[in-house]
Amino acid sequence: MTHRHKTLRALLASTTFAITALAATGALAQSKIAVITPYLSQPGTQFYVEAFQAAAADKDWDVNVIDTAGDVAAVISRIEDMVTQNVDAIVVNVDPSQVSAGLQAAADAAIPVVGMDAGSDPLLVTNVTSNGYAMAAETSTYVADRIDGEGNVVMFVFEAFPPVQVRSVVADAVFGNFPDIKVLDRVTPDVADGGIADSRAKMEAILAANPEPGSIKAVWAAWDQPALGALQAIEAAGRQDEGVVITGIDANPQAREAIASGGNFEATVAQDFKGIGAAAADVVSRVLAGDEIKQGVVYVPTKLITIANATAD
Amino acid sequence: MRNVFSIFATVAPQVNIMLTLLRRYGTLIGFAAILLFFWISLPDTFMTARNWLNISQQMSMLIVVAAGMTIVMVMGDFDLSVGSMASLAGIAVAVLFTVDLPIWAAVSLALMVGLVGGAINGVLISFIGILPFVATLATLTMLSGLAFVVSGGKTISGRVIPEGFSSFARGGLSLGEWGGVAITLPNLTLVAIVIVALVWVLLEQTTFGRRLYAIGGNIEAAHLSGVAVRKLKLIAFALTGSTAALAGIMYASRVASANPTQGSSLMLNAIAGVFLGSTFSEHGEPRVLGTILGVLILGILDNGLTQLSVDSYIRQILVGGIIILAVSTSSLTKHLRS
Repeated sequence: MTHRHKTLRALLASTTFAITALAATGALAQSKIAVITPYLSQPGTQFYVEAFQAAAADKDWDVNVIDTAGDVAAVISRIEDMVTQNVDAIVVNVDPSQVSAGLQAAADAAIPVVGMDAGSDPLLVTNVTSNGYAMAAETSTYVADRIDGEGNVVMFVFEAFPPVQVRSVVADAVFGNFPDIKVLDRVTPDVADGGIADSRAKMEAILAANPEPGSIKAVWAAWDQPALGALQAIEAAGRQDEGVVITGIDANPQAREAIASGGNFEATVAQDFKGIGAAAADVVSRVLAGDEIKQGVVYVPTKLITIANATAD
Repeated sequence: MRNVFSIFATVAPQVNIMLTLLRRYGTLIGFAAILLFFWISLPDTFMTARNWLNISQQMSMLIVVAAGMTIVMVMGDFDLSVGSMASLAGIAVAVLFTVDLPIWAAVSLALMVGLVGGAINGVLISFIGILPFVATLATLTMLSGLAFVVSGGKTISGRVIPEGFSSFARGGLSLGEWGGVAITLPNLTLVAIVIVALVWVLLEQTTFGRRLYAIGGNIEAAHLSGVAVRKLKLIAFALTGSTAALAGIMYASRVASANPTQGSSLMLNAIAGVFLGSTFSEHGEPRVLGTILGVLILGILDNGLTQLSVDSYIRQILVGGIIILAVSTSSLTKHLRS
């Protein structure tokens, strides 16, 4: 029994030890910056968080990246914890109107909060992002031009996330401006698995419902994952030779590869994630230096990606 | 293996007492160790009134869901649909605001959604006889789908949410100054305290509560001794649904918006809180005060590890490990004693 008792005590002790060891990683540095997001598992978010960290490495900051795994209220909680820790600045990647309780706590403690592809809010110093309206204009006009302003289009949208929602607003306007373009379906895929699998399933159903060749002219997706899912569905159904034009937004590596191979997936838009991360880091260092940031939004330019430049950086 | 231990146990009678202590207080010792660890690691910021009020506010929604979950777990059942119910109630209250209903009316109607949804779970389980896992898994999916349909998949935020509703979560009861800092007991914490008190009275001080424990102990015996098992289960699930809806409304107030998936993280955390909490009680049965301690362990880990800049994924691994550790300590020592 004594042996067993010791084992149990050792188990408890080792847990404490493990926590202590982990705590040791929080080494001290000059400026403490917290990056808080509920969306770290999304590839786009990963890119600019990494770019921010890279930019921060040159500045000798102690950057703490916190992912709340989809939980928006937890973002407020983590902002409050960072205010308790009295960090020098906080960077958030979430719709600011949903975390205003946390932003207010930071404001009360005079801790600046910078949005990184977040949304505009008076409680943010500024929001660094790509112009979602402009990106959607690039791909929706690409689609309209490629199908000569005529035919059925399937849209993949996600209105729950404001930066993606603005994209569909522009696409709706562009398609609505062509009397012969009909939006066959506006699909919101389940993104719990990343968005590809469910978009594929939804697209397969739409293909089954529209068996006539040419009955679907294009798929416009508000980001790349649904575009990739739609591409898989079209190829699996053996309908890749009908000339369905697919576009995405974000230019993730898988999308670039698909575009480079010359299939149905023809275009996407590259956000300059490195640029957003670097620009956010630049804003933070200006704020720490005491500068006043006048623009509510700092736009970082984007680029249309087609087969012509898909493999270039 | 077990034989060897039981021989040890019979050899030394005082060992029995130690095992009882370990089983009854093992989790409490662990809880104290975690507190002490954070207190030492974060001497300036952890053990402050401000931080504890933050933690209480951060955990208030989970406390309400977990207190409600305790009601059905007392009977040996559980409710997987609480997260979707919370999301749906948040969406319901926000959608009702868009048609200009006053706050009290929108909140009452959203609570009714929870009561009705919970009662449907109760009917499926007690009158139709579907296993709680299957019944609440099905309603989880349905409620989640309903939340998407009602909201059109959108986040409802901005001007449609009345200022009075979102400022509730930011406000609180002023407790005066503490070392030069104004201390406020957050409204959300107050709501959680009231719910915990109500559930405590219900489970510990009423015949209703004792009957639920009787059902959890032996459902056949409870039935034979005249306990209206079906009716009680129906009421219990309706109460759990209502608390889930209340948590969803609190969540919507805190984030000043509603999103069809925002309650989804509550379900697993609530069940984890109840399981952790049940290791505090004498026979390992769920008790609402134990549940609160269980939820606090989860909240303190979140708060402390965040302040220590520990990777948020490591926290998930630790929480799982702590649940296994707590429950296995409790069950191993139980084996040893018998």
